[in-house]
Amino acid sequence: MTNSTIDAQTQQPAVCVNNARKAFGDKVVLHDVSLSIMPGEVVSIIGPSGAGKSTMLRCLTLLDTYDKGEFSYGDIKVTTQGPHGAVYDKQAMKAARMRFGIVFQNYNLFPHYTVMKNICDAPVVVQGRDKAEVEAEARELLKRVDLTEHADKVPCELSGGQQQRVAIARALAMHPDVMYFDEATSALDPKLTADMHRLIREFAASGMAVGIVTHEMGFAREVSDRVCFLIDGTIVEEGTPEEVIEHPKDPRTKAFLAHAQD
Amino acid sequence: MFGMLLEGYVVTLQIFFLTLLGAVPLGVLVALGRLSKSKILSRIVGAYISLMRGTPLMLQMFAVFFAPYYVFGIKTDKSYMFVAVIIAFIINYSAYFGEIYRSGIQSMPRGQYEAAEVLGYSNSQTFFRIILPQVIKRILPAMGNEIVTLVKDTSLAFSIGVAEMFTTGRALVAGQRTMLPFAIAAAIYWVSCMVIEFFLRRAEKKLDYYHD
Repeated sequence: MTNSTIDAQTQQPAVCVNNARKAFGDKVVLHDVSLSIMPGEVVSIIGPSGAGKSTMLRCLTLLDTYDKGEFSYGDIKVTTQGPHGAVYDKQAMKAARMRFGIVFQNYNLFPHYTVMKNICDAPVVVQGRDKAEVEAEARELLKRVDLTEHADKVPCELSGGQQQRVAIARALAMHPDVMYFDEATSALDPKLTADMHRLIREFAASGMAVGIVTHEMGFAREVSDRVCFLIDGTIVEEGTPEEVIEHPKDPRTKAFLAHAQD
Repeated sequence: MFGMLLEGYVVTLQIFFLTLLGAVPLGVLVALGRLSKSKILSRIVGAYISLMRGTPLMLQMFAVFFAPYYVFGIKTDKSYMFVAVIIAFIINYSAYFGEIYRSGIQSMPRGQYEAAEVLGYSNSQTFFRIILPQVIKRILPAMGNEIVTLVKDTSLAFSIGVAEMFTTGRALVAGQRTMLPFAIAAAIYWVSCMVIEFFLRRAEKKLDYYHD
């Protein structure tokens, strides 16, 4: 009985994009892309450079907009269908921004803020939460990402891997349903990559949806529940890492994987 | 002699501080106007900046001083001289400060705006909490340059007869047939600039706790 209730609730994807299209001028970057991530699921978007991965991620994080398509975060419909394509609702966008967090490829920490303030500023200023409570939570988050003794430093005093973990803590402090990683491990050594793997699986275990954009096949295979191949603006193939990385069916995936294996 | 120079120096300081008081905030409007999405506004502000930078401040002072009479037919009394100096200095320095602010704002990486946007900061929160503090650090050296220039530019006020330190020095030189007043005035300008440089260095040091 309890199980079926949970199942009914988790039926709804944390983020869902249907038939999305995006063009810059004449150049169509995303054709008819559909993607959804369920709570607790880790999905990687893999593809060659210029396939539209970055554009997809920018659109998912509302830094850019789809021209067409349906787009929602849980029960929040970010777009509605207008006569000329997708119409974004300002209020929905604002609400949706509270549903996801992103760890940028170059982290984009605020250099003038300490680690602590990087994490606490938005929850206090944007979400209006109690400062002491947020700071207590931030200390927990810092413990979780192994940065406890760095709370009062500024980003430039930290290594790249440490800065990335600050960015993770900063995103987590907003209590997102979906976490995105842009090239999660391209700058990490094997030990840190293993830590990242553990963290991402923890997020998923706690019910968070995780979306990873990467061209690193190895990490995607290890960490993902599902892998989507985005090639030339289309998701040509998707499935478990086993299905699509070990036994790809689409010729474009095969060609891409053949290069990637070198 | 020293006493008279110091009297002039008080006027110099008035011009200096009133100009900063007006031009530092007005420069923000100039920068925002220049960066405005409205092409018309951006062009108008661009033309204003070009005019302010492309003509001598002394001529601008004359223009402000004589405009009420020649343009509007209003007779002005002596007290307007000082006001004209302040107005001319503020509109001139606002253009320079605005350009410095603009270059600072444009030097900010996009990633900072994007990080703030996904965290839900409003436009004004992004500007005042994330962008402005970093811009201040970036523009401090350029602002220092401009502020030191302002100290010396105050001497231009003599050209429309406002008795600041240089005017007084000139009168003393003419009356007493000695160059000493100029030497003393020069020393006072120099010491003033050193004081400013001292504070600028302290401010730069204070903001040196991070780099990006």
